[in-house]
Amino acid sequence: MPQMGVSVAEGTVVEWRKQPGDWVDADEAIGEVSTDKIDTEIPAPASGRVVEILVQVGVTVDCGVTLARIATGGDRSASAAPSPPASAAPSPPAPAAHPAAPPPAAHPAAPPPAAHAPSGSRAADRSNGARGHAARRYSPVVLRIAEEHDIELEAIEGTGRDGRVRKQDVMAWVQKHGGARPGAAGAPDEPILHSESPYRPGAGGSNLHGPYVAPEGRPLSRMRAMIGEHMHRSLQTAATCTTWIEVDMSRIEIARKQLAITALPLISRCAIGALMEFPHVNAWLENDAHVVHEQVNLGIAVDLGDDGLIVPVVRGAQDLSPEGLSRRIRDLARRARARQLTPDDVRGGTFTITNPGQFGSVMATPVISLPQVAILDVEAIVKRPVVVTDQFGEDAIAIRPMVILGLSWDHRAIDGALAARFLANVKKRIESYEA
Amino acid sequence: MATRTLTGTGSTELPSGPATPADGEPAHLTPADRVGLLRAMLMMRAVESRAMNLYRQGKVPGSFYDGFGQEAVSVGAAWAMAAADRLCVLHRDLGAHMVRGVGPAAILSQYMGRAAGITNGRDGNVHFGDRRAGCVGMTSMLPDMMLVATGMAMAFKLRSEARCALTWFGDGSTSRGDFHEAMNWAGVQKLPVVFVLENNQFAYSTPTHLQYAVDPVERAAGYGFPGLRVDGNDVEAVFDAVRAARERAIAGGGPTLIEAVTMRMHGHGAHDDMKYVPKALVEEWRKKDPIDRQSARVAALGHDVDQLRADVRTEVEQATEVALAGPMPDPETATDRVFHPRDAPEILLDDGVAPWSGFHA
Amino acid sequence: MSEMTYLRAISDGLRTEMRSDERVLLMGEDIGVFGGAFKVTDGFFDEFGAARVMDTPLAESAIIGTAIGAAVVGMRPVCEMQFADFIACGFDQLVNTAAKMYYRQDLPVNITVRLPSGGGFSGGPFHSQNPEAWFMHAPGIKVVAPSTAEDAKGLIIAAMRDPNPVVFMEHKHLYRRVKGEVPEGSYETPFKARVAREGDDLVVITYGAMVHTVLEATADLAGASVMVLDLRSLVPLDEQAILDAVRHCSKVVIVDEANYTCAAGAQVAALIAEHAFEDLDGPVTRVASPDCPIPFSPPLEAAVLPSVDRVREACRQLLEY
Repeated sequence: MPQMGVSVAEGTVVEWRKQPGDWVDADEAIGEVSTDKIDTEIPAPASGRVVEILVQVGVTVDCGVTLARIATGGDRSASAAPSPPASAAPSPPAPAAHPAAPPPAAHPAAPPPAAHAPSGSRAADRSNGARGHAARRYSPVVLRIAEEHDIELEAIEGTGRDGRVRKQDVMAWVQKHGGARPGAAGAPDEPILHSESPYRPGAGGSNLHGPYVAPEGRPLSRMRAMIGEHMHRSLQTAATCTTWIEVDMSRIEIARKQLAITALPLISRCAIGALMEFPHVNAWLENDAHVVHEQVNLGIAVDLGDDGLIVPVVRGAQDLSPEGLSRRIRDLARRARARQLTPDDVRGGTFTITNPGQFGSVMATPVISLPQVAILDVEAIVKRPVVVTDQFGEDAIAIRPMVILGLSWDHRAIDGALAARFLANVKKRIESYEA
Repeated sequence: MATRTLTGTGSTELPSGPATPADGEPAHLTPADRVGLLRAMLMMRAVESRAMNLYRQGKVPGSFYDGFGQEAVSVGAAWAMAAADRLCVLHRDLGAHMVRGVGPAAILSQYMGRAAGITNGRDGNVHFGDRRAGCVGMTSMLPDMMLVATGMAMAFKLRSEARCALTWFGDGSTSRGDFHEAMNWAGVQKLPVVFVLENNQFAYSTPTHLQYAVDPVERAAGYGFPGLRVDGNDVEAVFDAVRAARERAIAGGGPTLIEAVTMRMHGHGAHDDMKYVPKALVEEWRKKDPIDRQSARVAALGHDVDQLRADVRTEVEQATEVALAGPMPDPETATDRVFHPRDAPEILLDDGVAPWSGFHA
Repeated sequence: MSEMTYLRAISDGLRTEMRSDERVLLMGEDIGVFGGAFKVTDGFFDEFGAARVMDTPLAESAIIGTAIGAAVVGMRPVCEMQFADFIACGFDQLVNTAAKMYYRQDLPVNITVRLPSGGGFSGGPFHSQNPEAWFMHAPGIKVVAPSTAEDAKGLIIAAMRDPNPVVFMEHKHLYRRVKGEVPEGSYETPFKARVAREGDDLVVITYGAMVHTVLEATADLAGASVMVLDLRSLVPLDEQAILDAVRHCSKVVIVDEANYTCAAGAQVAALIAEHAFEDLDGPVTRVASPDCPIPFSPPLEAAVLPSVDRVREACRQLLEY
């Protein structure tokens, strides 16, 4: 909705003279609007093909709201099939993306990238047309990754501004599809969803040819030996039982996209909430004493490839938001892999979460890290058909991202009922999560 | 005849040593010194004449600058400096480099931008200093070296070393702020430095009356140390003035400004026809040629001056052949040596040659 | 280790080196009896004497020029410009005499020039500048700019030991505002970049006081993981660290407190454009002071110097892209 005069604040669309698929020349009337001062035609800001009408006749909107989109580039004679729009609005650029006017001194500050999008689309045609990407523009790194993995970028949904395909989008696609073309043979029809884990697979497998030669053994690394010793001692000492529960992750999936974080910190947040309600799970069993902690020091298992794994601890996790947890987990995982953890980073855990979901496994029996009394295992998030009941009590089958959570607990300290109630509490928190 | 003018600091401290009578025995120069002074001046003129021809043959790139007619100033002053002293040398002072031990082949290579030049082709003409001779080359921003020489003297004084720094600069330089900053600093800290103002009447085309209202030698008083004027075409007079100034500096007496009055007999550079200089003035100065004057003295000692000239000519011709045979620098080295490597041995100025008999007595 | 301010860390570095190397000589206006305009050399006069803590005439060209002379005969002078802005008066000696001496005549010039730089306290046009880029354009001079107390000491010691002219940019705004643990005794900080914070989604490349502005601006950006690269040295520029960071993050914001045109960040941007083009996932974004003198009045100055908000907004824009 164009700003006409200082005092006009809103306008009503009276008529659209062009419909999606129609060609419109720059300055040609594309429609008509009515304001409290005047009724006027809206001249198109650029030549192109109308892609989309966003505000229907009769609807009143504020000045600055995008009314329709025109795909610039191409020509009048070309097919009317709309190509992905280059976001040309028939009004001054919609202010929504950057409401704050830059300060007077901001000349050297970042020129808002979005401002380039409409006017730069001709250049986009030039640079990307030869690659067959029509009006979509891709950054150098996206093009490079696409070429390396032989990816058709049109198939990828962009999460950047105006739907731009970002590095993260193409990397996520590569992780899911392993680099084959979308729809190509070998790509799974229903890719496994998973929360991004601090685990990373080790170096690639062997490539054996020729006669089998028994490899020479090599002594266990110190880390390997210590992990083995701890795990073995735990199994010998604790009365380990494991309880499983199945959880609908729909809300977590929504929340993690909103917050631009992985599922792990959100699940952690729910688990911490449950721990505060069931403090006996957030505890140590030491010298026949059950020591219940008020503070949650959350251990996160981090895979170190062939070397083993390590469990750095997020201290005071009960005070952290999901974003805060995300930052701390990332930081600890990074430092763990860079071998930069300090002794304090791995001491004092009161509860541990392990998260091997990325390989697609759906169930495990984790080993408790003594003297803690429980460990939560988060497996792959998998889309499953589940029975859901609507508000009228009618059952239906729906596709939902589901996960199995497993809790290994020490029967010396707690009982199965508590473990089950704890898990049910985690489930309730996850399924009712509000970002 | 040397003219000596002490200008007014109010100080009664006169540079020691008697004036040098043109026809008598100088107090501080042996016959060998006097021949050596002539030989150095002959070498300077011969090398510069040869280089001018090479320039006209297209073998010296850029332009070419010489000190024709001013040989006495650099040779006489450098002759008074000890091996451990340090010199910042100006572009009309080739004789100083020669006195300190730099050979003609290296100098001609330098002019021609050859690899064997003092700067390995990194800088041209007389823009060089051979650190092994205790000399720092000038920059074109005159008189920047007045401050560098002052800093050397500052270090000498700080470390209580009996050493002296000396630099030359021209009449035009006296207009710049660095002249004032150096004179003031040296005066305030009473540093062992000798400033030789080489007044050759023109800064490029600008005559001295457009350069200053008061002769710079008068200004020394304002900085608290003596200024004196000598005949810049009398090599023995220049020597003696600098010798006395050096003695004074080493003894803790502070700096001295010596104005050596001379004449630039060639253009500013080889590209300059000097049409702005009155012919009569050039003719008048031609009669005061410093080499002719010293030749007469040396001949009076019974020394064969013609033979000396012939020897010098031969040496320069041989040096020219050596220089012309030398390779140009490797273009691959153009970006080398911008920074000195951190762990390499420290490089400082080394001692130069000090031929004056007074240091070898 | 003991905690000290950025300013005390510089003093500590100077003192440590002066005690162990008698070639080190401090020169500057009002640095002796008075202890310096900012008190960096407070107490030095009593410990080391007038000869080694030299009160000079008010003559910047002479400070640099005489330091060069002293250096080539074996001293290691450290020159203090009372304000970085005043280096303009010593510019010729630094860029023509000192910078080119080794290249031309194989004679290294071991001088360190301390430049108290930067704005943010109503210093006005002549007490607020960040002139580091002037020297980046003069081959033969190294330029370093610490952001932390630990680096301030390590870099001043490394500068004194470096055989080349080193311009040491010490930011006045950090003098007493930044504190940190500083190791005892003598140590050197390498002329290399430092990762001030790890991150994955975007890297902000900066140096000096802006490191702190950037850390604050990017501490909480809706969960985004923002790397901060503190260049520490502008000449030599740690090109590998810059390119590695860009390759990892693919989005880059470059922040200078200096004026926009031809600032150090402009060189960083050019380097990225030339060597990391295929790793970019968004426009190389710069935040700097606009091309105007640094004004005096607080609201005017605040409008010019890069603020936490401006840096945050630039990062946000690029993260959204």
